Amino acid sequence: MAATASVQPYLLIGNPGNKRTLGLQAARQKLGLPPAIVLPYSDLLNRSIHLGESIRQAATNSQPLEGKPIIIRLEAPGENPLVERELIAWGAEFEGSRKDLTSGLSVTAAKALRLPEEYGRILYPGQWYRGYCRLLAELREAAQQSDSPIRWVNDPADVAVMFDKRRCQQLLSQNGVPTPAMPAPAGSIRDYESLLAAVQSSRMNRLFIKLAYGSGASGIIAYQRHPVTGSEIAITTIGVEQHNDEQLYYNSGKLQRYTDHATIRLIIDWLCREGAQIERWIEKDSIDGSSYDIRQLVVNGSPCHALARLSRTPITNLHLRNERRLITDGMLSAILKEQVEHTAVSALAAFNGSTVAGIDVLVQKKRGLTYICDVNPFGDLLYHAEHKGMNTYEWQMSLLQQ
Amino acid sequence: MIEIRLSVDYDEYENGVRISQLIDQLTEKPNAANISVLTIGDWGQAYENGPDDAIESLVKHKHIFTGLSSLFLGDMDSEECEVSWINQTNIAPLLEAYPNLRSLTVKGSTNLSFEPLQHAALQELKIICGGLPKSVIEQIAGSQLPELRRLELYLGVDDYGFDASLEEVLAVAKPNLFPKLTYLGLKNSELQDEIAIAIADSPIVDQLDTLDLSYGTLTDVGAEALITSERVKKLKHLDLNYHYMSDKMVERWKATGLSVDLSDGQDADEDDWRYPYITE
Repeated sequence: MAATASVQPYLLIGNPGNKRTLGLQAARQKLGLPPAIVLPYSDLLNRSIHLGESIRQAATNSQPLEGKPIIIRLEAPGENPLVERELIAWGAEFEGSRKDLTSGLSVTAAKALRLPEEYGRILYPGQWYRGYCRLLAELREAAQQSDSPIRWVNDPADVAVMFDKRRCQQLLSQNGVPTPAMPAPAGSIRDYESLLAAVQSSRMNRLFIKLAYGSGASGIIAYQRHPVTGSEIAITTIGVEQHNDEQLYYNSGKLQRYTDHATIRLIIDWLCREGAQIERWIEKDSIDGSSYDIRQLVVNGSPCHALARLSRTPITNLHLRNERRLITDGMLSAILKEQVEHTAVSALAAFNGSTVAGIDVLVQKKRGLTYICDVNPFGDLLYHAEHKGMNTYEWQMSLLQQ
Repeated sequence: MIEIRLSVDYDEYENGVRISQLIDQLTEKPNAANISVLTIGDWGQAYENGPDDAIESLVKHKHIFTGLSSLFLGDMDSEECEVSWINQTNIAPLLEAYPNLRSLTVKGSTNLSFEPLQHAALQELKIICGGLPKSVIEQIAGSQLPELRRLELYLGVDDYGFDASLEEVLAVAKPNLFPKLTYLGLKNSELQDEIAIAIADSPIVDQLDTLDLSYGTLTDVGAEALITSERVKKLKHLDLNYHYMSDKMVERWKATGLSVDLSDGQDADEDDWRYPYITE
């Protein structure tokens, strides 16, 4: 029994059966590690299981721990309608310290749980984020209270910051990590009107307006305004539908190109109300006529897997029709590759309690300067990417064995 | 042969750098007379500014850049400026100042003009835009370019400035207009089928090596006219890259054994809309 008993317990908070959970389990199996103990978000949210209890059980089953802490890994809560509704419901009850953020639209907990499934609809993102923060805070507290030594792969408090692009940007700039400039101080743009004022005073006519919460291409607008004619173009996956007296916002799955002021105003007002990060549109470098950014994975302070995301549109992180390319020799100069890695490493280093993140790095056309545009705590689901012959999960699990 | 690329990015422009300064600096190079290819990218916030000072500076220094044979004015992508927002200007002074120019490429059509379009040596003219105005098409139809071998026009869509009729477009494809023309590109058009039908049996095809109808909304309707044309069969190459033809039509083309670019087939969207390659 001694051999198995000394294996470090690994708790995985996620949605069972999805690609992330399966990918991690497959990697553990390949490396001869016992399966991670999966704690489903849905069970934690409906309180049929408790993290403190799970830690206790894991500790009991793995005696002696030989000084090795129990590892707890958070996975992405997304792509699960039930979990999404639970989180929105949790957000309704949360009246904590987050008064600094604009509240956005809200719905009662009971109503949240009954929200019908509508394909692509973006549901109460501000409230969803508040619910997720509440869960993260509760999980962190439960782990802290336990008698066993534990180690978070990513501290839930860090994940909360990474999942709010405004707080993330602020933390990065405080740590001297380059991020795109902003046309106005964070939080000062509250609607379309104040956005226009900021565009005029900053002379930044090209901006990215991003839903502050979560990650990925959903909720991003590439916005530009003609300084002379006042024409506008908003390129985004966000669609809007009038439904009785209500506007419904959804991810249309493909890029829309809006030029009419009324629709643009509607969407920007909504984004600002929910909470938006607004920053300069850095003109991206291109490869073979497509602009690109780099998704650089950083684990334990070192760069590993990386992909270039190429697009003929301004939005590179859309899955649809965009190309993902492994960084091969000669694609980026050695100096640029090193600079991308260095910038990504410095971004993760701004988070004291985190060891893994997929960092999105922009390379500015002509100047070759690098900027961080997103830090994704769950940014390690990268298909086909290899580092030293291992996929992202295998690499992370192999580091546990060293 | 020396190739030079100049551009002014957003920050440089905000900090007072101007494209004319960069051209002035270029004159100080000892080998300035050997510059044969000059590419001017973004001249600085092109959605607000035209290339007037670039042209002025190039005209002023025409006695220095004596080797210039190829010029691209406006080589920028949508990360810098939407193509439909690129301001252009009257290009004629450049043509007059550089009588040895062989190739001219212009990107962007807002305020674009050639008053007049005449040049004794120019062999290639290419205009890339989301919508080519009738006024420019008329200037090309009324031009004097006796040496022109290659003409490529991105016609675009009416939302972004294309306002000519089919007849007005076809006025640039008259056999005696450019006697040495061997490459004709009437491309990136929302009238691609109509153009294909009209060109397929036009005498202009007899003098061409290459017919380029790429990047537009070509469907089987236009393709049928091309594939059954005796004139088209004699072409060395037909460029239909980016098209809306059916798989069946693509197979028929392959069976002809002709040199045809059939890459990048598109599907109409759910509302049955078809778009050319560059429209914005």
